[in-house]
Amino acid sequence: MDFKTFLHAGSNRRAMLKGMGVAAVGFSLTGALAGCGEKEAAKLANGEAAKLNFYNWDTYIGETTLEDYKDSAGVDVNMTLFASNDELFAKLRAGNPGYDVIVPSNDFVERMAAADMLVEIDKAQIPNFKNIAPEYQDVPYDPARKYSMPYTWLALGIGYRKSKVKSVPDSWKVLFDSDEYKGRIAVLSEAGDMFRLYGKYLGKSVNGLTDADLKMIEAMMIKQKPNIKSFHEDNGQDLLLKGEVDLVLEYNGDIAQIMSEDPDIGFAIPKEGSQLNSDNLCIPKGAPHPKNAHAFINYLLDAEAGKKITETILYPTPNAAAKALMPDDYKNNPVIFPPASVLAKCEYAKFNPELQPKYEEAFTRVRAA
Amino acid sequence: MFNRTAIAPLEYTRKLWMRSWVGLTMLFLYAPLIVLMIFSFNDSKRNVVWKGFTLKYYEKALNNDGLVEAMVNSLTIAFLATIVSLVIGALAAVMLWRFRFPFKGLVEGTMSLPIIVPEICLGVAFLIFFAKIDWPTDLPWPLNLSAITIAHITFCFPFVAMVVRARLASFNKEEEEAAKDLGATEWQAFRDVLLPHLKPSLVAGALLAFTLSLDDFVITFFTSGPDTITFPVKVYSMVRFSVTPEVNAASTILIILTVVLTFIALRYQGVKGISDAH
Amino acid sequence: MQDWESQKKPFAAVATAPVFWLALFFIAPMTIVWLYSFGQNAGPADIDISGTLDNYKRATEWLYLSIFLKSLAVAALTTLICLIVGFPVAMAITFAAPKWRPWLLLGIMLPFWTNLLIRTYALMALMGTNGYMNKGLGGLWEGASWLRTLVGMQPLEAWTPVQLLYNNFAVVFGLVYVHLPFMVLPLYSALDRLDKSLIEASLDLGAGHFKTFMQVVVPLAAPGIVAGVMITLIPALGAYLTPDLMGGTDSQMIANVIERQFKRANDWPFGAALSFLLIYAMFILIALQSMRSNKVKEAR
Repeated sequence: MDFKTFLHAGSNRRAMLKGMGVAAVGFSLTGALAGCGEKEAAKLANGEAAKLNFYNWDTYIGETTLEDYKDSAGVDVNMTLFASNDELFAKLRAGNPGYDVIVPSNDFVERMAAADMLVEIDKAQIPNFKNIAPEYQDVPYDPARKYSMPYTWLALGIGYRKSKVKSVPDSWKVLFDSDEYKGRIAVLSEAGDMFRLYGKYLGKSVNGLTDADLKMIEAMMIKQKPNIKSFHEDNGQDLLLKGEVDLVLEYNGDIAQIMSEDPDIGFAIPKEGSQLNSDNLCIPKGAPHPKNAHAFINYLLDAEAGKKITETILYPTPNAAAKALMPDDYKNNPVIFPPASVLAKCEYAKFNPELQPKYEEAFTRVRAA
Repeated sequence: MFNRTAIAPLEYTRKLWMRSWVGLTMLFLYAPLIVLMIFSFNDSKRNVVWKGFTLKYYEKALNNDGLVEAMVNSLTIAFLATIVSLVIGALAAVMLWRFRFPFKGLVEGTMSLPIIVPEICLGVAFLIFFAKIDWPTDLPWPLNLSAITIAHITFCFPFVAMVVRARLASFNKEEEEAAKDLGATEWQAFRDVLLPHLKPSLVAGALLAFTLSLDDFVITFFTSGPDTITFPVKVYSMVRFSVTPEVNAASTILIILTVVLTFIALRYQGVKGISDAH
Repeated sequence: MQDWESQKKPFAAVATAPVFWLALFFIAPMTIVWLYSFGQNAGPADIDISGTLDNYKRATEWLYLSIFLKSLAVAALTTLICLIVGFPVAMAITFAAPKWRPWLLLGIMLPFWTNLLIRTYALMALMGTNGYMNKGLGGLWEGASWLRTLVGMQPLEAWTPVQLLYNNFAVVFGLVYVHLPFMVLPLYSALDRLDKSLIEASLDLGAGHFKTFMQVVVPLAAPGIVAGVMITLIPALGAYLTPDLMGGTDSQMIANVIERQFKRANDWPFGAALSFLLIYAMFILIALQSMRSNKVKEAR
């Protein structure tokens, strides 16, 4: 049997792998050497092969979404995973190795658009765009949604263990400028986010930091460093759940996921306001199947499909039609959907090619201090 | 092992302190693995608290086509990279040990560079290199693994060369000369005298190369495409939200699989080969 | 040592493959990055190779040099501990009965066929505030406390977990865990076939085990020690994952800084300059060492 067709033959591939399990691994080589011809994948009406390469974050899709899509459209979606925007960008910088749909965050949509790495989205092929809530149909980081379609959004805030704090931590002060919780705090290791949030604490816009501000913030960070236990790699919810720390700087969606496992966990967006973040569906230049990519994005924005995705990942969804189908305990959860008065003080971070290296260098100094 | 004769001076392995030293080292090496294996049976999404016994993550891992495919890719690449690195590394060691030639210091320095270059730097170099020369990415399996395999060979063979070179230092050249005096050709002397002497270092080098290749993430990440995911690349992207029991289950399967394969290999060739070398 | 000109055919036979591979699949890709180190960002994804030396100027600032020196110290400490732990293990493998030898060797290597990240997380689960090491220590503490009450003394105060993770100790501990086999393998391969009569002679002549070890075994194992130190020290210097995950707020190593330039900062020219500074330093070191040892050999 031809191993390539064996691995990529869709439905019978799943059945075969189920049957063979571990044996498949052991016999890989003999299987591979047995034959090397490749069958052409079936063609679709739009002239493209029935295949799509989806580059996504982990646990960022519904349990059955890809199978449902295969059943309805006949396209085999090959989903592979990346762990950070930086990785995604570094990997696509030198050329697209074959991805059709990617999921960058807002500032990386800006960055990739500036680097001419994204295909303009043809909205005529995405009728489900109408499902998106109006405030996400036109956003500052991608005016008129030229290059991106919204997938989820998030807000940074403070996750905490209720039994270990004296009062709800409703100010960045507890993380950034106080020894009240010495040695029980973990903050992000992402330099840009850290500087911008310090800016927020100082009453400035996340996008309006000057060199003098950076200097002042750097000094504040060095002063606060002895009180911090760890700069975490976006796994703060784990540190909180394990009891390693009692306060953590994290995204609301991540904390919402662990709140269902441990009732002693709480989340607050500080009164000074915070930084918003949004993950978006984009098509990178050089995508081998652009028509399939449009059709797939359209499917992900469908109300029913959006509902199934949201049920799994529990992040806030910008898809109004999908949100309407969700149960009340999701719709009315103040962690997932912070009140409008809080959100009014939150901002998206803009892509800023001059500041980014400065943030990094200053943060390197903070760590070395 | 358990006879009651008196311990001879050189039977270090039968001395208590030596045994406990090895035992403690093994405990240090294996304790985390045991924790990992135990948690693969944990009935909770996260590796934090024990919540009960389950086998469902094994079912999930084996039904995760992507994971199984990634394991197949990883083992294939490690296998190919080990063989090629072994040959190139051993040749490089013999070249540096035996011959005097112009710019030798330069060649020797360059040869050890792949060990020194920070992984990310080499990864980016390969990313641009393969993009610039338009290395085809849509070849059928296993040819689509060629870019990753090439990159792995590059960072594995200097390790082999280093280990083999250390071993060559103890080679008695008179043995080879004696063989030649008795009428052996250059090739026969190499095969029948030098190679047997090198065997332990070849085994050590192969183990090193296999380990490095099987575990590489950074360089593989930059040379892989949508159809060529390896186990470490898959795992790194999966643990963004901490290690799940599914990943633990997959690792446990991989451990058992490699143990069984090595066991078979050792059983049928290795033990004899390694002991003969002595 | 033979001159290549007198042995052209055998020389070509051994030299072609390594030199060809090195030129095509190492020097060629690295040259591109080397050129980048003389360039500057001209857009989010474009680099303008202008021949500037600014990146090197920045890379030699005290900030980065101090991080480099600290990384070197951490890597050296790791290597030393690996050598101390690994040498007896390598000796044990060498002196074990032949049928046990491959299994011992395999026993050392096996943990390393599990993914580094997964192993690191497992180690962290052991070392955490509520991890098994702390639970074990806590149990011992309570036992001691209970024993004190038995003899009528005041019980000890309540156990407070030891902070094992998120500091520099954790980084060294984690690095030793990751790099131990890199030390054991070359040591084993050098010690194997060690002429045991030399040790016997030394013991017969009245030297103790320790003296024999230091004056007979260690010199004989010297090439293996050098190889082991090289392939432990250098990768430990380039470690980024262990300090990232297990380190505290001040545990960054030079590889973390380099990684961030290529990823978050998106400053490839500067990342390239930092990498190449490391490469220049090591290259000079190795070339010098090679020249010296060649001279020594020729002098003999």
